[in-house]
Order: sequence, then C-alpha cells, then structure tokens
Amino acid sequence: MTQSSGSSSGSKKKVSPLPRPSRRLLCLGIEGSANKLGVGIISHSPPDFPSSDSGGTAKPTATIVTVLSNVRHTYITPPGEGFLPSDTARHHREWVIRVIEEAVRKAGVRMGDLDCIAFTKGPGMGTPLQVGALVARTLSLLHNIPLVGVNHCVGHIEMGRQITSSHNPIVLYVSGGNTQVIAYSQQRYRIFGETLDIAVGNCLDRFARVIGLRNDPSPGYNIEVEAKKGKRLVQLPYGTKGMDVSLAGILHAVETYTKDKRYRSWDQLDLDRDGAEDVITPHDLCYSLQETAFAMLVEITERAMAHVGAKDVLIVGGVGCNLRLQQMMGIMASERGGRVFATDESFCIDNGIMIAQAGLLSFRMGQTTPLIKTGVTQRYRTDAVHVSWRA
Amino acid sequence: MSTAALDPNDAGPSSSVYQTISRGLIEQGTLIKQGAEAKVYSLASLLPKPAVYYPPSSSSSSVSSSSTTATTANSTDAGVILKYRFPKKYRHPTLDSTLTASRLTFEARALARASKAGVVVPKVIWVDEKGGVLGLERVEGWSVREVLGGGAEGEVEIEDDEAEEELPVDVDVSEGKRRSVGEDNEGMKALRELGVTQEHLMRSIGTALARLHITTIIHGDLTTSNMMVRLTPGETEPFEIVMIDFGLSSTAQFPEHYAVDLYVLERAFASTHPQSEGLYAGVLEAYAKGLGEKRWKPIETKLKDVRRRGRKRDMTG
Repeated sequence: MTQSSGSSSGSKKKVSPLPRPSRRLLCLGIEGSANKLGVGIISHSPPDFPSSDSGGTAKPTATIVTVLSNVRHTYITPPGEGFLPSDTARHHREWVIRVIEEAVRKAGVRMGDLDCIAFTKGPGMGTPLQVGALVARTLSLLHNIPLVGVNHCVGHIEMGRQITSSHNPIVLYVSGGNTQVIAYSQQRYRIFGETLDIAVGNCLDRFARVIGLRNDPSPGYNIEVEAKKGKRLVQLPYGTKGMDVSLAGILHAVETYTKDKRYRSWDQLDLDRDGAEDVITPHDLCYSLQETAFAMLVEITERAMAHVGAKDVLIVGGVGCNLRLQQMMGIMASERGGRVFATDESFCIDNGIMIAQAGLLSFRMGQTTPLIKTGVTQRYRTDAVHVSWRA
Repeated sequence: MSTAALDPNDAGPSSSVYQTISRGLIEQGTLIKQGAEAKVYSLASLLPKPAVYYPPSSSSSSVSSSSTTATTANSTDAGVILKYRFPKKYRHPTLDSTLTASRLTFEARALARASKAGVVVPKVIWVDEKGGVLGLERVEGWSVREVLGGGAEGEVEIEDDEAEEELPVDVDVSEGKRRSVGEDNEGMKALRELGVTQEHLMRSIGTALARLHITTIIHGDLTTSNMMVRLTPGETEPFEIVMIDFGLSSTAQFPEHYAVDLYVLERAFASTHPQSEGLYAGVLEAYAKGLGEKRWKPIETKLKDVRRRGRKRDMTG
C-alpha cells in the first residue's frame, strides 16, 4: 500500500500512487474559464465509509466517489454574437455567489466541512478566469481551506475517466477552445494530435453565427439539430495532417457556400420548396460541416489509437456531447474492437465538478497551491501538468 | 478475359476485374496489422494462385502454366504487403470513397516519384484505387519506434491501476502483461552490434528526410512508426532508413509545408519517445545539412512559426 510507483521494474504491474482516503474528503470546484460558470462538490470516501448513497458501481475495495452537487449557469449571447471576455466576467461576478450557495445547499454540507477548494488555473479567457480564482481565494481565506489550482483540460479528462470508468483511454478533447488527441504516458497527458489553427467548437460556433443560429442552449447543439435535416454533402476541404487537423480552411469554405447562388437562407427556404432542384440549404451546410469535421476528428483519433495500440476512446469537452460525433467514433472503435466512452452534457460541457475531481486527486497526493501562486494563466498546456496521482 | 487481367501492361481491364484480383490477393494474404486507415496483409508473392484466375476452361497454354506457377511463383519477390483501405463506415460514403481513391493514387505516385529520385521507399507492385488495394514490397526490419522502444505504446497497453486505487497487495500482480520497453529490443541490439548508435540513427533519419523533401514530396504523417530500419549488409552504411506509409502525402509548394511535416515528426517524437526528445535535434541537424543552407533557411523560419502556432492554440476552453 505504501509503494509509490512500479516504474523501477518493467515487469511489475504499476500500482496507483494515490493513497486511500482515511475519511470522507470534500472538495468544491469552481470553473469559469469560458462562458460557463460552474460549481460542484465531490466527495471521496474510503470503501467502508457508511454513505447514504454510495458511488453505485464502485467495488468495495475502491474509493467511493460521489458527486454531491453540480451547478452551472451559462452566459448566453444573442444570435450572431460571441461572448466577450469582459461581459463574460461580468456575468460570472453576478452569478457566482448564487451558484456557490446553490451548490453548497444541494450538497448538504457546510463550507467549513470542505477539505479543499479547487479552481481553474487555466487555460481560458483571462478575465473570467480571474473571477473564479478571486472567489476561490476569498473562500479559502474566510474558512481557512487550502486551495488547489487545476488545469481545465486535465479536469475534463479526470472527470471523464471517473464517470465512464475507462482507465487508460485515448482522449479526444473537443471544445470551443481545444481540439486535442491525448494519451497518458509517464505521469503526463501527452498531446498526440491537435488543431493547427482553430478549435472545432470555435469552428462550429462561428459558423452558427454566420447563418444566424441561436446561442441558446449552445450554438453547437443547434447545428447538430439542423444538421439532421441536411441531405446534401457539399465538398469541403479535408485537412488532416498526420495526427493534427486544420479547421480554419473548412470554416472559410463553408462560409463561402453561404454566398453561393444556390444558397437559400432561412427565410428563402419556403419559397422554392417544391421546384427546387439545385439548392444548398443551411441544413445541408450544417450537415456537411459536421460530417467533414467530425470525420477528421475520428480519423486522427484512430491514428493515435493505431499509433499507441490503445483500444478505448474517451470523448470529453463541449463538442463531445454531439451525438453524431459519438456515433461516428463508436463505429470506428467497434471496427477496431474497442469501445467509446462519452458523458452526457452535465459532465461534457464545462462544469465545476470536474475541477473538484481533479483538484481532490492532487489534494490527496498532498499537492496544494499556496496563495501566492494562485494566479491564473490563459495558456496552460495539458502536458504541462505533472499527473502525480497516476502510476 | 481473365488472362489479360493478369498482365499489368494491359491497357484497359475494367475496374471490376482489378477488384476481383485484389479480393483474391487479400484472401490469400494474412492480416498482420490494422493500421489507422488500412488493413495490412502479408503475402509471400504477388503472383496469385493460378487455380483462382485460370479457370480450367481457358486456353490450353494457360492451363499448362497454371500447373507450374503454383509452386515456383516469382522467386525474386521478397514478399508483398497489401494495404487494403477498407471503407470507413463512420464517414459519409461519398467522402470516404473520394478520400480513399485520392490517397491511394497519391501514395502510389509519391512512392514512384520518390523511388525515381533515389529515396529509399518500398516498391509499388499493385495499384487498384477503386478497390482500395495497394501492393508494396515488404520491408524487412524494424520501425524506428520499435528500435527506440516507443515508450507510449508500452504505457498505454498495460492495464494500470485497475480500480484506480491500489489493491492492498502490492506483489507482482502480473509478470507478462507489461511489455518491456527500451533497452533490449531486437532492432537496437542488431544495430548496436553493428556499431550504430542512436545518434547515428537520428542522422540517417534526417538525411533520408532531406532527400525526400528535395523531391518536393511531403510525407504528411511522419512518425517513428512510419520509418523502417533495414539492414544493408555489404554496403558502406550498415543500414538504411525506409520511409513507408505515404497515404497522406502531398506535393509542397511553400516552405510552410515542409515545416509542418517536420513539426508533425517533432511532436511524434515528443509524445512517443519522451525520454529521447533530445535526439530529435540530431534529426534536424542532419536534415538541414542534407538540404543545404539555401533551402533550409526559409524552412527553419517557418518551423519556428508553426511551433508557436501549435502552442498558441491552448487558450480557451
């Protein structure tokens, strides 16, 4: 039990360095790196801890992980607009107290019960990040609770691993700001492939803006809905470069189609419903964009799987709740005899609980962030984090 | 006309004839690996078993040949690899068939061009772009990743921390499960016996890459898995680097393209061989030397750009 790591001997099975909790540990996580403000409380309990609702599937020997609360409030902008850092930060400032109170109330704990407070250190938008960090510091000082700074991407991965119990998958992390294919190796989440320009979520969001889709509940979701009505696959550039992808070209190309003579915008759709033979509808463009961009993502994931010889895929990040992407990934994985793990929107989309989960893992390894180092950073590579809690 | 179809010089057999043959070849082959985009089969020789393609009803001359070729085959064939790009069901069928055909054609063309320009690549033996089958010379040797003991593969394959927590017992739970990484792989051992160091290997990779890029061919998927080390007994150099898998190759127009190609390899090194990241500098050095100052300078500038761009992307989430 005290053995730290099996890395010294190649033939030994690696043993997790994570010490078992001696009592129930509670962590509150605050996430606000983009337009979602999320707060969640998670508990890690020893196997024999008398818990009213145990983690369910957990084996008796494993630590019981329970999500006590997971509250989120999203800053939604009008159609055709993105979210600006200062406005997003204002939204977070307005809502953060209410969201925290709600999370604590739902969890049925008191602030003083918390063992640590985790917050997103980066990557993300600077000003919204600062709101989360500021609140975390304040709570920490008020209640004398240690702080843990968490890498947003690692939060996604750790929550995904926990929820799906996939222990060592290839991770496809797709969101508004990130598009990465990640595999774990030697205490780092190593990036095998990523976008060379814009993130896939960014690509979808921006296209939603071009064709005037609403941002409620999210532009990506609305694209997914409209794509279901698409029939025609227009040709778009297919930019895989090894295990990397390029998405800027595809965005530009699909935007160009909206200036095509054959294009019919929403209000023109009904006009030639019957006689129309050669038209391109917004539905077709959503469909083509999804089909092409997701095919690229699935392909680079498959490349990474083949490259490292892994079987399972975990999809995390906001775009990860797109069912078409999950379906395509599922087909690919089944062809390779593997499995796909994806989570629903409560864990896929940015949330506080994932920050709490990753934060509590570091906390159990004895890692806390001293107050002076609780600054946030807009750029924080996934592979910059030392994943001490894995063998 | 089944006899005509076997003649590669024949001008116009319909694609279906090709596909029938391709299918026959695949059936004879043994599946050795399912790569990212293709299933790879190994075959002793390309010449198909005549019984399949020379029906007894055909002319008497071919019947007589069928009885002999069955065993003799083609003795110069060292072995054939068949790359079958099977239809990807996750992709839209139109998108998929366009991609498959264009990649296969490009791969065959790039291989032919590279080989003409003196780059060591496998010979192209069979092309059936509609059926998605490409026949290549089999390269005997090891991939560079095997030689370097590709760290990441071993890591990912083991089933570590089964239940995320350690079990109370910490004895050797499994001996065989973990593939030993590094030190004692066959390829490195063979190279070391010939007095080849890792640095030497890196230099050869750089030189081979330079030779490829001089032909304006961009590989598009440079990883350590896509370079083979083949021993060349009797030559001045004890081994050669054989570039394989040109499925994503293209022709370069700007220094940017070369730079991206290099960057892809750089990343592959960093992620697959974290312990030998420093070695990559040796690759670049030999590459620069192989290209010559004049060609290298613009690529070097671009490479710095590309590196920065890749990193910049880690911003919002």
